[in-house]
Amino acid sequence: MLKLKLTRLVALMMAVSLVTFAGCSDDSSDKPSVAYVTNGVASFWVIAEKGALDGAKEFDADVKVIMPKDVEDQKRKCEDLLARGTDGIAISPIDSANQAQLLKQISELTTLITHDSDAPDSDRLCYIGMDNYTAGRMCGALVKEALPEGGEIMIFVGRLGQENARLRRQGVIDELMDRSHDSSRYDEPGTSINEGGKYTVLDTRTDGFDFAKAKAQAQDAISKYPNLKGMVGLFAYNPPKILDAVREANKLEQIQVIGFDEEAETLQGIQDGEVYGTVVQNPYRYGFESVRVLSALARGDKSVIPEDGFLDIPARQIRKDNVDEFRAELDRLTSTAPAADSGDEEGSDEATEADAAAVSETDSQ
Amino acid sequence: MKKNLGILAVIAVVFIVTAIGGDGFLSAFNLYNLVERISLYAIIGIGVSFVIVTGGIDLSIGSFIGLCAVTFPFLVIGHNVSLTTGLLLLLTMSVCAGLFHGLLVTKLDLQPFVVTLCTLMMYRGVARHLVSDSTMGYSDERFQPLSLMVGRLSELPWFEGQAWARHVPVALLIMIVIGVLAAVFLNRTIYGRDLMALGRNREAAHLSGINTTKMIILAYVLCSVTSGFGALLFALDVVSVQPSTFGSFYELYAIAAAVLGGCSLRGGEGSIFGVILGAALMRLLMNSIQMLGVSDALEEFVIGFVILLGVIIDVIVKRVVAKRRARQQATVAAGAE
Repeated sequence: MLKLKLTRLVALMMAVSLVTFAGCSDDSSDKPSVAYVTNGVASFWVIAEKGALDGAKEFDADVKVIMPKDVEDQKRKCEDLLARGTDGIAISPIDSANQAQLLKQISELTTLITHDSDAPDSDRLCYIGMDNYTAGRMCGALVKEALPEGGEIMIFVGRLGQENARLRRQGVIDELMDRSHDSSRYDEPGTSINEGGKYTVLDTRTDGFDFAKAKAQAQDAISKYPNLKGMVGLFAYNPPKILDAVREANKLEQIQVIGFDEEAETLQGIQDGEVYGTVVQNPYRYGFESVRVLSALARGDKSVIPEDGFLDIPARQIRKDNVDEFRAELDRLTSTAPAADSGDEEGSDEATEADAAAVSETDSQ
Repeated sequence: MKKNLGILAVIAVVFIVTAIGGDGFLSAFNLYNLVERISLYAIIGIGVSFVIVTGGIDLSIGSFIGLCAVTFPFLVIGHNVSLTTGLLLLLTMSVCAGLFHGLLVTKLDLQPFVVTLCTLMMYRGVARHLVSDSTMGYSDERFQPLSLMVGRLSELPWFEGQAWARHVPVALLIMIVIGVLAAVFLNRTIYGRDLMALGRNREAAHLSGINTTKMIILAYVLCSVTSGFGALLFALDVVSVQPSTFGSFYELYAIAAAVLGGCSLRGGEGSIFGVILGAALMRLLMNSIQMLGVSDALEEFVIGFVILLGVIIDVIVKRVVAKRRARQQATVAAGAE
């Protein structure tokens, strides 16, 4: 008898807790309900999430933002989304070549677009993002400016399996080697590259989105290569980790840090002269535009898709000469942003500033 | 069956709540996905339960899965090894890993936690080094025959054209076969009995003539072989294998499934049916979280919380049952006087 009571009690507890959770979800209505799937968990994606949420408000849609941990998680969560029913998925595929099956499944059951990292062989209706190869070359150009005399360079990135990482890296290498513009080239990591020019790309290190490891790898590279002149971080969190490592090794004079994305520490580093420059993309607009395109498609409006299927959100270079302007722009917009937080905690600043950066670009275009 | 009442109740509640509150939860598409996931995770859970009943632990499962998943295409695609040879090499590798763990645990008397914690790191390193961190794929045509294992039952010749078979994953069949074999082995053979006995009290088992060294090594080998096979299934299912992350934390999912299913980490206790239920609860929860639209960030919390709840309920139910039995026996004894 007691056992029965217990089981009942437990069942009740479970039901209550789960129903409470269930209550958090939105009621379904005529609004298009779309999903925005990232390729990992990072502050870069938090900015994109804001864009997606603002897009949802603007275009009267429901958006579910999903940040999977790895490629398996991405598959499972997409399947769950499909099972739940959705009017469209915008995804940044982790390994587009091998995820063909998943992408096919998505495109068969709902509308598929890609953002941030493309899957050109899939049936995606369009790709929203920047041309990663060109952005990589822009980053390479910054390295050249920072190190006119040449020298040894190391590259750091979260994962190389991803199309965007591969292209960025190749862009950096091709620019440094003064090669022609060809995004299909691929230099295997693990061998040092020098084609007789001033620059040597020693190697590329991947950390699998493990931030502690990203820093450790930067430290190890500094120890291993005493003549290291330049360190390039290709994912948002890489440059701050590199900067930490260089600072701790007291090598700010010797090593130039060049990065990607608008992490607060990276921008501060540029202002302080510790980071030479960064190439910023626009995660806010990736999220915003993804929701715009998906909700229009859900309402039957196909005109939102560009002819070549590529919605370009160009990158730009930030150096010491325009970082103040860039940050001022951010600060001005931070005060008007709805989620603006006056707290001086670093994390929240980071998000809102970069968010505002994104807003500013949206406004200017 | 009785032993698993607590967890069955939790599964039932989560299922019913999700069915009511979640859109698309009961769709054939979702149930198919769910059953397939449960099957895959249950298989590695069954593997680790062999080790757990001996009072040991295998923490290296996740990175061993990563290593196997990387090695197989490395051989088949990279070095043009035939599928059969590749499978045999995979099996050999799994047996060797198990032997390695088992020998270190028994002959050198090292703690299983330490041994497998070290191999956890070693396997990950080897996997990444082997292919210099590049992503391996299973989309090549050569893997087609094996992909049947993660396909639909209707794709198999025996079930061709049967409508219901389209909604049943082959992985379920594989899991049931492995589960039945494992249950028979553990409960109906002398070896299984020995394994349980030595988990309860190694010294006593040894003194009563059980070759404990051999049995413990066997448990580790069975665990590694099951993991190796599980690796293949996971890789074929996910298709894309990143050497640095593939399989990470799977050992904890497997161990959690085993513990939820009534295996005691002190050894000597465990039921295969329980392990399958444990795996089912975890996958069901993850699916429910998505279906109910719970925030993604809460996922880990909910899973940890419900598992803890499940274990607590289990303990309470067991205590209540034990007390009642004691009381009954007391009354019977009193009546007899």
